[in-house]
Amino acid sequence: MEAPVIETKINWASKLIGAGLLVQLLALLAVHPLAFVLFLAVGCPLVAAGIVLYLLSLVSSSQA
Amino acid sequence: MPASILILFVAVSGFLAVVVGFRAHVTRSREGKILAFVALLILPAMAVWAGFNEQMDRAQSTTFCLSCHVMADYGRSLTVDDRSYIPASHFQNNRIPRDRACYTCHTTYTMFGGVTAKMHGVRHLYVQYLGTIPKPEDIKLYEPYNNRECLHCHLGARSFEEGSAHHKDPELLARVKAGRQSCISSGCHDTVHDVASLKDATFWKEAQ
Repeated sequence: MEAPVIETKINWASKLIGAGLLVQLLALLAVHPLAFVLFLAVGCPLVAAGIVLYLLSLVSSSQA
Repeated sequence: MPASILILFVAVSGFLAVVVGFRAHVTRSREGKILAFVALLILPAMAVWAGFNEQMDRAQSTTFCLSCHVMADYGRSLTVDDRSYIPASHFQNNRIPRDRACYTCHTTYTMFGGVTAKMHGVRHLYVQYLGTIPKPEDIKLYEPYNNRECLHCHLGARSFEEGSAHHKDPELLARVKAGRQSCISSGCHDTVHDVASLKDATFWKEAQ
């Protein structure tokens, strides 16, 4: 059976958040400028995109 | 928050987010919706905020600044066995916190000084990996060193306010405080890192 759209969005949101937190985890393992940039330029946007997608899924489900 | 706790928190948050994502059907129930809200919004937001604070804190550490090879001589200059080296005398006598030695003197004590320092740091990273790395002795400040950074700590200190050298000229302190006479480039405290002369220097070894 095909998953509802909201569950697909939640699935993608979790993937983005998981990837972002994994990057953040790796960035915490080293005290280095590259780790700082990795955290800010890759980790934060991925988590932010995941959270936004999750919030969008809530809005779209409440409109449906 | 200790780094180990933060790492654990980030790992658990990530794991929980992925589990909720792969079991998205649990969000059909009320409890599942609450779990998703916590796992996909509250915990990730907290993890990012805590991580951001940790990264900003680390970016102020001496280890962080000296992790680029080109900065190695600047790090060595902190242990020169010569009191005339201003950074060395500050570092060795704990006038600055040793674990934040670079940042303490090289941030500007203004509203956006920390942000400016970070932006400069990003530029340094660009030069390090994509540009032409200068020789250590060719590295210059973006602008002349401002007395404000010295006065941030020394203003009001007895050794500064009552030091005999500062009273040979009765107008000297007023000029220094107003920024009309530089502490460094006026020639009074002009031996700073001086990395070009390190090959002839002797170094202090801290007693264990």
